[in-house]
Amino acid sequence: MIMDSDVVLLGTDLPSSILAAALAKAGYKIIHVDPNDYYGGDHATLNVDEIISWANLRSAPAENERANDYLAAQRDRFVSISYRGTPPPASRQYSLSLSPSIIPSVGPLISTLVDSGVSRYGGFKLLEKVALYHSPGFVQNVPNTKEDIFNNRNISLIDKRRLMRFFTFVSGDFEDKAELHGKQSVPFIEFLISTFTLERSIAETIVFALAFCSSPQEPALPALKRVRHYLGSSGRYGPSPFLVGHYGGLGELVQGFCRVSAVSGSTYILSHSPSSTPTGPLARRRYSISLTGLDETINCDLLVSSIESPEPTSVGVATGVARCIAIINKPLLFVPTEADTPPEGSPPAMDKVVDTALIIFPPSVLPGGSETTAAHVLVTGEGSMSAPKGNWILYLSMPLADSKVSAETVLQPYLEATLTLADEGHQIEPTFSLFYTQLECSSSAHDGRLLVPQITTLISECGDSAAVVAEEMFRETVRALDGLRRERGIEIAEEPIPFWPPLEGEGSNDEVEDW
Amino acid sequence: MHGVSRVKQSQAALEAKRQRERAKLKEYLALSDEILSRKKRGDLGMESLALTTKMLQINPEFYTVWNYRRNIYLGVIFPNSTPEQINETLERDLVMTTIALKAHPKVYCIWTHRRWCLAQTPEGPGREGDDIHGWRMKNWKQELFVVEKMLGVDARNFHAWNYRRYILENMPVKKPDIDELVYTTKKIQANFSNFSAWHQRSKTYPLLWESNVLDSEKSREEEFDLVRNAMYTDPEDQSVWVYHRWLVGSGEDIELLKREIRAIKELLEEEAGSKWCMESLVHYQTLLVQRHYAVLGDGEYGRLRANSLELLQQLETQDPLRKQRYRDIASSFPSNQ
Repeated sequence: MIMDSDVVLLGTDLPSSILAAALAKAGYKIIHVDPNDYYGGDHATLNVDEIISWANLRSAPAENERANDYLAAQRDRFVSISYRGTPPPASRQYSLSLSPSIIPSVGPLISTLVDSGVSRYGGFKLLEKVALYHSPGFVQNVPNTKEDIFNNRNISLIDKRRLMRFFTFVSGDFEDKAELHGKQSVPFIEFLISTFTLERSIAETIVFALAFCSSPQEPALPALKRVRHYLGSSGRYGPSPFLVGHYGGLGELVQGFCRVSAVSGSTYILSHSPSSTPTGPLARRRYSISLTGLDETINCDLLVSSIESPEPTSVGVATGVARCIAIINKPLLFVPTEADTPPEGSPPAMDKVVDTALIIFPPSVLPGGSETTAAHVLVTGEGSMSAPKGNWILYLSMPLADSKVSAETVLQPYLEATLTLADEGHQIEPTFSLFYTQLECSSSAHDGRLLVPQITTLISECGDSAAVVAEEMFRETVRALDGLRRERGIEIAEEPIPFWPPLEGEGSNDEVEDW
Repeated sequence: MHGVSRVKQSQAALEAKRQRERAKLKEYLALSDEILSRKKRGDLGMESLALTTKMLQINPEFYTVWNYRRNIYLGVIFPNSTPEQINETLERDLVMTTIALKAHPKVYCIWTHRRWCLAQTPEGPGREGDDIHGWRMKNWKQELFVVEKMLGVDARNFHAWNYRRYILENMPVKKPDIDELVYTTKKIQANFSNFSAWHQRSKTYPLLWESNVLDSEKSREEEFDLVRNAMYTDPEDQSVWVYHRWLVGSGEDIELLKREIRAIKELLEEEAGSKWCMESLVHYQTLLVQRHYAVLGDGEYGRLRANSLELLQQLETQDPLRKQRYRDIASSFPSNQ
């Protein structure tokens, strides 16, 4: 039997799922395949048992097993895997993300969620706080708004003025401003200190806790754009710029997009991968593909893949991100350092227990930690529907210049330091923790298939990156398909197809008052 | 209308809309005529009361109808009710106005009617002690709650602030003034660009100083610290400068005046061209010269005068629309007689 389609998508990671939904809504016939028995690929949300299987499959292979192409690619991509502790009893109540993320309230991902209608399927929690780790048991608040600066007792009057001047600059159209002229590639921290006469500690707060740079040497312009983006996102849904998706974030969004795609007519096939290279061209379609274990062949005009084998890196050591997922059953408290404590007579500080928050470890703050790179720790609790009551998930991530060091060695000091923030007096251990390194990968296209680019791994950018990649792929796909149609003498629409068509059932409001 | 996209409508749809509007208008005018003629006749019956309820839901700004409603209450309904019934009626009206305020938070007549309801609340439920104020305290506390909700939605609604002062002044059992200070602190920390919150502080502090709850020296110092933080965070915010002027007061304390002038000068150095810095410097330097010429002497006077005139020149160039005002201020700078 033959299944006919316009596009076959291999891999249900986030950009591919967004693409599948957009193509399906635009009227194309889609078949979406994933080798795993779950949706999401490298951006999936898994429960504890599932993540242990995930880890086992990708660790050194059992002797008699013949890895298929997909698993081999995964084993090249995920290395240095280790875990310890006892999986908690209520494994299914945990939603662990392979790609933890915080989503800016304004941006390509939110727009795509709204325009596609997927926002209606899911819920989000506002990130409560971003704090800088200061010393065992203490964090430093991060000023985000004019009010934060005003209320902060830690900054001198002159520094407040200069910091506000920076906020005003960065919130506007700075690309053509004199202050930036010729300095776009200057290391961000140097730019801040020299152009705004900012104190080094304040400049560091901006670099690491507002721009989320990994290294102070990162160039000024992209960092400035991020700061502007995030400052401009605060206030839309609440005081924080960021949302955290319920049930594990990106993995849950994948399911929303796949649902939209399926509802618009796409076919979904899990637990299968291509059995060999596609053949073709055929009479009415370019390619014919078969999947292992399936009798049917699939004909299509275009193959879009996100599950390729990574290329062996040609030069030097591979870079990547060291990650840790840990489960704890005691709450963390964000206790400000003494200098940060609000003055007497002002209303009592809010409950300091955090449910969903981000901790930044700037370089050199931790003895035994990195002196060149920052680390991020995302805490998610019951409020984000990712853990049962009384439990929290910690996601640690840090870019690695040298992937030969084990993820556990690199991240263990950060995990311990984070745990010093627990309810005072308790020396706590995580109930379960998993460590691994995710290598940066590139693949090259062969046999004319389109490859879905990797999304960025920065926690505040990965979501938007997926939406941007998806839209670019959408244009490219539509262009390719239109080209084929033209060749075949089939008519194509005059007007360019929008990324998302208008949603049905929304405001056709004929009670609009004309003023 | 802001934020609502225009929907292209066909001729038929537009015509249908016009028809509906015409019908609504006709209905409204009929109701209005009916009520006004009843009022003229002196009809104070229950049916008329019901009509006023209907009208005020549509148009709460129709103050005549509010007056009519109150006349019905006072003329017929209250004289024939027990205190419990009066209290219940007033509570219902308070609920009605709360709903109206959500949609129309700045309509004067709604606030007026609430005040009237509060003033009309009879003594009770009991005869003595706290109980005699039972109903009133319940209503007044509810008022405070409503006003706080409104200030939560819009901290700069001066109607709400005025009303808040009215409640605090007239509650049968008063709240401590220090609580009010804490409340304004909360509002200012949330957003210091708030004339009303600063103004409230300037009303609350004198009460606290008079009753010796707080020491005026210490408070002023703390306030100067707070205001300076605000000034440096946003030198363009007018409300902060207005409050600062109140704090400095008549300028009797020469050291205070000199110190504040210094602080503002430092800010001006950091933020060249700040209009408020320059204007305030002129204002305070004028004050200094007016009150303390004897101590300053001619030399110092000359320096202050020259600097003030220079600042005013700069302001003229920077803010040409107010040129004449700055010239006026310059020409009335005190002479050294």
